[in-house]
Order: sequence, then C-alpha cells, then structure tokens
Amino acid sequence: MRHRIIPVLLLKNNGLFKGKHFQDHKYVGDPINAVKIFNDKEVDELVFLDINASREQKEPNYSMLYDIASECFMPLAYGGGVSSIEMIKEILRVGIEKVVLNTHAVRNPKFVQEAVKYFGTSTIVASIDVKKSFFGTYNVYINSGTEKTNLHPIQWAVELEKLGVGEIIINSIDKDGTLSGYDGNLIESVVKAIKIPVIAAGGGSGLIDFVKVCKNHKAAAAAAGAHFVFQGKHNAVLITYPSQSEIENEFGSFIDS
Amino acid sequence: MIVIIDYGLGNLGSIKNMLRKIGYSSEVSSDPKIIEQASKIILPGVGAFDTGMSKLNSLGLVSLLNKKVIDEKTPVLGICLGAQLMCKNSEEGDLSGLGWFDAEVLAFKGRFGNGKELPVPNMGWLDIMVEKDNILIENLALNPRFYFVHSYFIYSNQKEDILLSSKYSFKYTSALQKENIYGVQFHPEKSHKYGFQLLKNFAAI
Amino acid sequence: MYIKPDFIDPLVVNHPLTHKLHKHPYQICTRTVMDTSDPLIEFDENGVCNHVKKYEYWNNHQRIKGKDAEHYLEQITERIRKEGKGKDYDCIMGLSGGVDSSYMCYFVTRVLGLRALVVHVDTGWNSELAVNNIQNVVQKLSLDLHTLVIDWEEMRDLQLAYFKSSIANLDVPQDHCFIASLYQEAAKYNIKYIMNGGNMATESILPPAWGYDASDATNLLSIHKAFGTKKLKSFPTVSLFKYLFFYPFVKKMKVIRPLEYIEYNKNQVKQFLMNELDWRDYGGKHYESKFTKFFQAHYLPTKFGYDKRKAHLSSLIVSNQLSRNEAIEELKKPLYDLTELEEDRIYFAKKLNISLEEYYKIMSKPPIEYSVFASQVATKETLRKFFKTFNKFRKL
Repeated sequence: MRHRIIPVLLLKNNGLFKGKHFQDHKYVGDPINAVKIFNDKEVDELVFLDINASREQKEPNYSMLYDIASECFMPLAYGGGVSSIEMIKEILRVGIEKVVLNTHAVRNPKFVQEAVKYFGTSTIVASIDVKKSFFGTYNVYINSGTEKTNLHPIQWAVELEKLGVGEIIINSIDKDGTLSGYDGNLIESVVKAIKIPVIAAGGGSGLIDFVKVCKNHKAAAAAAGAHFVFQGKHNAVLITYPSQSEIENEFGSFIDS
Repeated sequence: MIVIIDYGLGNLGSIKNMLRKIGYSSEVSSDPKIIEQASKIILPGVGAFDTGMSKLNSLGLVSLLNKKVIDEKTPVLGICLGAQLMCKNSEEGDLSGLGWFDAEVLAFKGRFGNGKELPVPNMGWLDIMVEKDNILIENLALNPRFYFVHSYFIYSNQKEDILLSSKYSFKYTSALQKENIYGVQFHPEKSHKYGFQLLKNFAAI
Repeated sequence: MYIKPDFIDPLVVNHPLTHKLHKHPYQICTRTVMDTSDPLIEFDENGVCNHVKKYEYWNNHQRIKGKDAEHYLEQITERIRKEGKGKDYDCIMGLSGGVDSSYMCYFVTRVLGLRALVVHVDTGWNSELAVNNIQNVVQKLSLDLHTLVIDWEEMRDLQLAYFKSSIANLDVPQDHCFIASLYQEAAKYNIKYIMNGGNMATESILPPAWGYDASDATNLLSIHKAFGTKKLKSFPTVSLFKYLFFYPFVKKMKVIRPLEYIEYNKNQVKQFLMNELDWRDYGGKHYESKFTKFFQAHYLPTKFGYDKRKAHLSSLIVSNQLSRNEAIEELKKPLYDLTELEEDRIYFAKKLNISLEEYYKIMSKPPIEYSVFASQVATKETLRKFFKTFNKFRKL
C-alpha cells in the first residue's frame, strides 16, 4: 500500500497562511495558484482547513472552494467549522471529496454519526488536535487549538471510529510548524488503538520524517504544512513537493501491502 | 459528444474539467434526449449500490443505456460505483445491476485472511497490473497508479474481461473491458496525469 | 524606404484596428523580424530598421568588451565586496525561475564570488515550473532565499484594473512591484548593489509603443484609481522621487548589470542551467508567470496586434545568436495551442474573479494609450531639461 504524503494548507479570509503552534500565522499567498502548483506537482491528496471558521461560525466560501476544487485532479478534503449536513452537501457539491470534522465532532458526536450515515464512511474524516500538558499528559483541543477538552486523543479516536469516520488526522500542536519531526509516540499509540487509517500531522519536515512515521509508527499517511510552503532557513514562501522517484526511493521496499 | 450521466452521484465536475483540459467537450445530463445522441458515455458514481441502481431506475435510464451500449455499441466507461453497477449484482445491496459484465461485487470485509486485514474502505493510491493490452491503457506513464476509494470490489467470472488488477492485501480486479464496455474501479478524474491519459485514450476511441 | 516584405504577419495586417495601431504599408525589417506593428519603426534604404541601428551603435561605440569587460567586472566585484564587509550580504538580486535570473544566481555567487541576498517576489501567478526552478537553483547553489508574497487581493484588484483599462502593458503591476520590492529589501538590509540580469545580448530590442515603462508609479496609481476597488495598503510602489533621487543619491544604491560584460548566449546558458542546476525550460520568454504568458501570447496580440516574440527574436538576431530564417520559422508557429489557450483563459478569468462573459466584454473594449492616465512623463521631461541646463551652467 502506498503511503500518502499530504500537504495541509490553512485558509484565513481567503488567503493561505502558516503558523507555529497554531499561532503567528505568516501570509503564504493565493490558494488558487497554490492548488494549481500542487496539482502540477501531482501530489497524492490535499487538505484545506479554514482556521477561523469555527470561531467565526461562518459558512465556507463556496465560490472559492469551487475555484480551488476545479484546479484539482486529485482527492481534496476540506475542514473548518463544518457543522451541518447541509454544509457538507454543499462542500461536496462544489467538487470536494471529503470533509474534515474537528470542533463540531466533539461538541456534537451525533452529528458525526448522521454525517457518516448520510454521506458514507469514506467521505468523513475526523481531525484531532493534541497538546501535551505541563505534566506530560495529552489533551484534545478544539476551536483552532484555543479550547481545552477533557478528552484524551486515544479515547476520542476510538469513539470516532465507533461513530464510523473513515480516517483520523492526529495533529500535534506542540510540534506544529516546528519542522522538528512528528510526535511518534502519540501517533503510534492512536494507530494501535484503532483499525481505520491514521494520518500523522504536526512537525513533519521531509521525506525522512514521512517514512519514519509510516514505517516505524505505522501511520497510513503523513501530512505536513510548513515543510511544503517554506524553503530554507529564512522560511521563504515557496511551494515544494518531492518527486515520485524521490518518494519511491525513500520508501523503498515498504510500498508493498 | 461525450455524455456524463448525471444520476445524482459522483464528481461530475472533475470529469468534465479533465476532458476539457485534454480538448474534449462533454455534457453532464440525465436527459434521455441528450443521452440518445451521445457518441460516448461515462457512467460515474460514488456511494451505495442500491442507491445508484434505484436512481438509474427512477430516471428511466436503464433501457436507454441498454440500447445505447448493448445494441448500438456506444463506448461506455464506468467509474467506481458506475463500474460496479455494470455487474450483475452486489453484496452491498439487493437490487440487480445492469449485468453488462458477467461479474459480481463483493465486500472486502471478511475476505482478507487471518492477520492480513487492512482498513476498509480501501482509500488511497494503488499500482495497477496489466492483464491484457487495450487501447484504454496505452501510453500510461511509467509505474502508473490510480486513486481508489471503495469498500466493495469487482469479481469477474470471465477471466478474459479482466483488464487491470490491483493489490490490496490480495489481488483483485481493478478494471474490466468487453468490446465497447469499460469499467474502472478507480477514479481517473482524481488520478492526475494517469487519469488524463486514460480519459484521453477513451475519448479517442 | 519601402521594401516588399518577404514575410507578412496576418496578425498585423488582419488586425481590425491596424489602421490606428500600426504603421502602413506593412513592412518587415530585412535584418531582423521587427515590423510595422511597431508604429514608430523606421527603415533605411536597405530596409534595415532603427532598432538594428540602435544596437549596432551600442555594440560599436558604447559596449565594453573583451579585456576591458573582464577588467570592469573584476573592479566592480572588488568594490562590491569591499563595501559589503561587515554586512550580511554584498548585494541583492531577484530570482524568478527564468533563464536570466537563474543564471545570475550562479554567475554572481560562484563566478564573481559575492554574497547575495536572493529575493523571489511572489505575485500569485507562479507556474509549477518556476517554483521548481527556484527550488533547484537555490538548493544546488546553497543560497538563502527570501520570498516577498504580495497580498493577492490587492494584486488582483490592481491587475483587474489594468485589464479594464485596456492599455498595452498589462504586466506593469508585476514588474513594478518587482522593482519596488527589490529596492525596499535592499534598503532594509542596507545593501548598496542591486544586481540586475538585464542584457543587450538577448533583450536589446523593445519598442516603447508596445508597453509603457513599468517604473512609473503615478501611472499605476492613476489607473488603479480609475478602475480599482480595493485600497492598496501593502502593495509596494516606488515613487519618482525615490527612484531618481533617494535610492541612488541618498541610499547610494547602484544597479549593476554583470551579464552585459560577458558573452551571453541564450542557448548555451539554457544548456548549462539544465545540466548543472536541473533547470527546466518553459517555452516563451517570461512564461514562468502564468499571467505574463497569457498577456504576451494572447492579450497583446489580440488587442493590439503586438507580438513580443518579434522583439525577443530580433534581439537574438542582432547579437548573432539566431538567424533571420530561424526567427521567421518561429513566428510561423502559433502563439498558443487552442486547448491550452482555453484553459489559460478560464484560469485568467478565475484568478481575476470575473465571469467569462465579463472577460470577453473587457477584451472587446478598444485599446487605450497609457497617456490617457496621469503619468510621470511630463515631470521626467522637465527634470531632463533642467539638468541639461544645469550641466551646461556647470561647464561654464
């Protein structure tokens, strides 16, 4: 089975941004041109997350999503304040394959169940943002990392699997934007607890990290943000993605299922 | 004119966009008058087997499609659920399929064998193995791969219909072909350059 | 003097507004492929155009060649290095992913041995090829890249304003912010030397009629005032004062064009870049930007009957890098593959956030002279006269 390598792009007020630990977001540019470039680079899949939507309780900018989706000839997922069946319907209608639920999954688990029933398992992805407490315990955070919950990521992942979601993104807030590698222990502990695919996010800085988190920690896919939009020590905005041969070389014989 | 059947399921926009990029115009429609005039047909689809068949039935398209495909030999490409609907039946539902292929649709769950389970649905990029030569798969770039997302797979009773295979714990059929009828389990419209080539080949038939 | 053309460009003679925009009768230069789509073109008794004369004058009387050129480069490099001591960088230069800027990265850092701040200005239209080239150049040469991302909403508003204005040089917004950004960054890092990849060897010819000067901020702001809807809060501009006085005399910045002092052959350079830096070619000049490609290969030819390829090819002819026959064969090739044109048009409209209907409406508007809008032309003329008199006075 090929392990997917997935760029995660953050939207705010129709522009692309990237931050560190979910803060200090730097302007990355026009989402439509970014998608076009990623499409030309033949990426495996793209995830777009609107980082303000939950807080501002806005509807997604469907017209922009349509423009984005029409540049994509690979699977596209969208998340950010998704809170109703109607919203998901509209998001899928403009050409997006999957929706990512985060805050509203926690606030209303029944909604997850409804969505899975209506749209099918493969359409619903759940995303879990995790921060380590002072004592080293993991907690699930919602609302773009601003609100702490009492949930533990493993417990919540198991719950989400029961509700029927197709995949789970585990995102380490502590590692986000640091380009210092994934939280392998966190990822592996979730992978061990559930059967559905786990997408690792937070800290991925290159092919070596991607292979490690898939090979050693058994993630089904590796996601990253900063790595694909920043270049060099000054974090210059530049879109990059490894070539197929680079990916194949690094993953080596592990591609077989 | 290539007609993409609109029966309420599937990513029709992407297919149309992809065709346009390679220089072919197409129409998305459920109107029998338009389908009647089609020089080629694409049957897309995402979702449950029975939902798909009952939608085709309620739109009254089944006999028209039979006429175009079986009688008039119009080239037709089924994508994902569309390909599955071309089979006789599916474990996912109770309704009968179009029966253009002597094939059934089976569930992945329970068929993996001990210790070899993989997550369902099969969601991701898989390589394809060519079982026979055909115009549909000519000129594909090296190491072609396509994007799959499905919980049920096609099992063909006629070995000579099998065009492509893929491996998801075990080897299974990922594309069928019989005369003018083509069915692919994967999504060419989501498989960028490989999908472009495949659609280009189909459009040029 | 009229000489019967051996090649007639239908783009020009069939253009609906040719009587207004071009010179008549149709004539093409016997040395280059510049023709009467340049309304100011002049031909001598042999049918050779004024652009050739201008190049030859420079080549024979002004150009520094051979040992003198080497000497100049050594001297200027030494001076730049000296003045850069104690600073983070000796000089600054822009990188777009195109031939000249990519080669400059190599030439300035490896051949001249200077420490350069490499800046990429992202205006939102980068092709994948451009981005890939930038990545390879920067990684293979181990350079520190800085990117300035122009606020897309403002850029779009400005480009749409230009499109609505129907003037010739649609690329001013991109070009102007490159210039302004480079100056701003140079000022920020206290860098005195701006390395520019411009060169007479491959771009000596460009008729002023085909597009007004991109450095004119007055013209830019006046066009924006007429058709723009958003305030330009962060869009970088450089005023005439800063451009003519502040940056050169107060900040003591100098623009150096090192490629002017070497034998710069386009094909050889491309080969070198492909072999050494994994650089990829993208067809036309400046086609690394999807906007520029559409502008040069469709907007300009369709609205004005100007085909910029003629200027690029003619520049290569006069510097003996291309034969006239080869150039004519190039011109015979269509500017755009039809399927690609349709795709690029859809993308153009999508990016500018207008419907295709609106796009066609704007495209069908008649072409307008830039001078309809306020500009710095009069001011520059006054200044020129003043300094001419001033210098006369000084010599007394």
